[in-house]
Amino acid sequence: MKTLLFLPEIYYTVMALILFLLSVQKVANRRRTFLVAFGLASLGVFVTLFAVKMHGYLFYNAYKVDLFSQVFKFMLALGLFFVVAVCDNLGDISEREHAEFYLFLVTCTIGMMMLVSAVELLTFYIALELSSYSLYILVPLRRGVGFDKEAGVKYILIGATASAFLLFGMSLLFGVAHTTYLPELFKLFPSLITQPAGAVGLMLVLAGLFFKQAVFPFHFWAPDVYQGASNQVTTYIATASKVAAIAIVIRFVGLASQNNELLVKVLMVLSVASMTFGNLVAIIQKDIKRLLAYSSIAHAGYVLIGILTMDTTGFASAMFYALAYLIMNFSCFMVIVKVSPDGRNVWVKDLAGLHKRSPLLAMTLMLGLFGLAGIPPTVGFTGKFLVFLAAMQKGYLALVIIGMINATISLYYYLIIIKAAYLLEPDTDEIPPLKVGFGLKMLNYGLIAAIVLLGIAPSQLFDIAKAAASVLY
Amino acid sequence: MISMEMASFPFLTVLLLTNLVALLVIMFIPPERDKLIKKVSLFFAGITVVISLYLYVTYDTSKGGLQFVERYLWVKSLGIYYFVGADGINLPMLLLTSVVLFTGVLTMWELENRVKEFFAFMYLLVIGVYGVFMSFDLFFIFVWYDVALFPMYPLIVIWGSTRKEYGGMKLTLYLLAGSALILPAILYLWTKSGLNTFDLLALHRAGFTKHVQIIAFVMLYLGFGILAGVWPFHTWSPVGHVAAPTAVSMIHAGVLMKLGAYGILRVGMFLCPQGLQYWAQLMALLATIGIVYGAFIGLAQNDLKYVVGYSSVSHMGIVGLGLATMSVGGINGAVFQMFSHGVMTALFFSSIGYIYDKTHTKMINELGGLSKIMPVASAFFIIAALCGVGVPCLSSFWAEILVFIAAVKTYPVRGILAICGIVITSLFMLRVVMKTFYGPKNEKFAHIPDVSLFLASPRIILAGILLLFGLFPRLILDVIQSAVIPFVGGF
Repeated sequence: MKTLLFLPEIYYTVMALILFLLSVQKVANRRRTFLVAFGLASLGVFVTLFAVKMHGYLFYNAYKVDLFSQVFKFMLALGLFFVVAVCDNLGDISEREHAEFYLFLVTCTIGMMMLVSAVELLTFYIALELSSYSLYILVPLRRGVGFDKEAGVKYILIGATASAFLLFGMSLLFGVAHTTYLPELFKLFPSLITQPAGAVGLMLVLAGLFFKQAVFPFHFWAPDVYQGASNQVTTYIATASKVAAIAIVIRFVGLASQNNELLVKVLMVLSVASMTFGNLVAIIQKDIKRLLAYSSIAHAGYVLIGILTMDTTGFASAMFYALAYLIMNFSCFMVIVKVSPDGRNVWVKDLAGLHKRSPLLAMTLMLGLFGLAGIPPTVGFTGKFLVFLAAMQKGYLALVIIGMINATISLYYYLIIIKAAYLLEPDTDEIPPLKVGFGLKMLNYGLIAAIVLLGIAPSQLFDIAKAAASVLY
Repeated sequence: MISMEMASFPFLTVLLLTNLVALLVIMFIPPERDKLIKKVSLFFAGITVVISLYLYVTYDTSKGGLQFVERYLWVKSLGIYYFVGADGINLPMLLLTSVVLFTGVLTMWELENRVKEFFAFMYLLVIGVYGVFMSFDLFFIFVWYDVALFPMYPLIVIWGSTRKEYGGMKLTLYLLAGSALILPAILYLWTKSGLNTFDLLALHRAGFTKHVQIIAFVMLYLGFGILAGVWPFHTWSPVGHVAAPTAVSMIHAGVLMKLGAYGILRVGMFLCPQGLQYWAQLMALLATIGIVYGAFIGLAQNDLKYVVGYSSVSHMGIVGLGLATMSVGGINGAVFQMFSHGVMTALFFSSIGYIYDKTHTKMINELGGLSKIMPVASAFFIIAALCGVGVPCLSSFWAEILVFIAAVKTYPVRGILAICGIVITSLFMLRVVMKTFYGPKNEKFAHIPDVSLFLASPRIILAGILLLFGLFPRLILDVIQSAVIPFVGGF
């Protein structure tokens, strides 16, 4: 029965194997590869949903299956499904490599799924590298453009640096605590954090993780990688991998005992810096993917507000925010992918006339952007509301005001995109309408419904998030 | 303790849903069927008028308190309730919204560009407005408040004129910067109450300490005040009015700005009476500056819409001054002024819209002698201007006199200054009327026909309302007073 706990991971490993078999075939068939990947990815969502209620330990207690990890696995599966769903025209990846493309997406997902369950430092590290290396391959898989190679190299180098930070921090933690198990670390931590080695160790680990989450000042890979990777890969990095990063930051911050002044202060500074920097730099971006990269830096800051409260409500609000972010950000990226069938990068002015070319896509984009800006009745507002509420409970009034001011600043550049989609007329006269097939239509309706409904009725979801956050330790 | 009477039939929810249904129906009509979209919009706007009029008439002023109440738990873990109700303060506002919506749809009857989207955004905006006015739960008030704000951006940039991109962006950012103060204030009160509820009445009973009230009130005042056009945060308002298309200017100046004043009254003053006392001096000062400043700047304007924009700043100053007096008379006057200013500016913008459609200019020095060319169309503007000046028999007269009596009692110097401000307002209003509608006529426009009865209908309705409440002010004051007396008793 115990193996069943590992069901989602097993399922995705099998999926990876099937894709591997497809990749070694002589003649590539892009349509078939897509359908197989899509079918398996959609089934995967149900598998993870089925596994949500499971709990228990595996592999000598190094691997914990609980509501927290399972909810995140569901979100990751959802993220993979979303990304695969917009892969029907992989314009800028050579046909021969389509199967590999899906394969590495899946291995990356497996890595991240293991990541959210790992409660032992080495297991954690291995899972992290599995997901990272998959992404290192995915980024330079794009053909032709030029800065793809630069992005690939940058990503590997910075990723390696992050791993170095992480490993050094972990070795310090092991040095002071003589254990690699997180639950035991958690028990010892109140005394350890007062020792310099303990505090530095935790900070270094967090620094490594903040690289993944792209928190200022560990953000500088994000804009280049977002710009350089193919649209679909960027979508994946911006949605699923961000969700995983939030999960592991919650796990590690949860290690520190509740009233840890120093850590809270550090996180507060990082959060404010991240929000402000991300939003201000995003204003001047022309390439939408770069713009969304900076906006993701800002959003990392908002999530940190929830995390730094270090209580159940705060962690639950961060989880809710993660899901909200996944849905909203994907809505925006989906439109980018669809606007550019040949896979080129999309500039803000390329969206001109979108409301005529496809009213539905324009509307999804608008809702997604308003969601990111935190305007009700979207799920993005509810996410921000919950995060700020958690911070206010701890009495961080100034932080909440700074967060809200930042949300207002961010509105400026989101509105510029909306203006381009709804108001600007394209330079050339004839831009053909975008074809929106049945599947895409359904996806759009689903996203719109999710953005609005989760925004106005967050009750059940937030209760689940609260339950999940309470089983952390 | 405010009495509550549950609704026998969910009128308020139906009112809200009517707009939602209208929005959905419009979205499923093919975009090329312009006429049908307009008819559907008008039909649903008519329903909202009927419902809000019914509520207004059947509200029992002798019982007072909250009536037509619906209250359901929405999010248990946070204490969010779907809690709507009607009392003497929000009933006139609901009626105002329906009237402005109805006449706004009529005013836009000749719109040709992207009709479907226009009415869809307009209904979205109005859903937010209704929501704020009827909600008694802080979470929902905030949600609806923002819902009412963000459609302004597409409405202005797509259908607007004169520097629309600048005006739209400025307006949206200003207003949402306001909500950036409101949300922290709401969360602050929620936390400090320790009751785990967003229910406005429960929070009112919580009895916050003076310190908490002072902090919360100033945030709420500034946040909502931006939308109410409080000086010096008013600069978005004339620019936005000028840039917006006619019906949006009507809704925006007529209804949206009232959301701000209503928010100060309903949330700020209701929850933080001691905070109000602490800041009342400042409120009265800013309001007086607004009254005088708006009037002076209005004198120098050449664009009809700018004139009305600055007169709005001045008139909303009167609302602020009334609220700051903390007396029954002052608040009565302020609420009445909110209503009457709403109808009046709607009439202003509706008339300007017609003139602009026909002459393609709204510059005062390019017009002139219009009353000889289109006497009926000019008459509406002149009625609105007279109302703005505060001529007896029109509703603003009663509102302004109530505010000024209360203001002179509480803040003699500021009150008298404000009255002087009104004199300047009359000066600039009459100057505009003289230059635009009298004097030598511009031959260029001599061929323009006068307004037809159908196209004049929105203005007839609005002017009729001004006259009705001007002649029979008790029709509205009785309703308002039934809520204001217990309200002031709570201070």
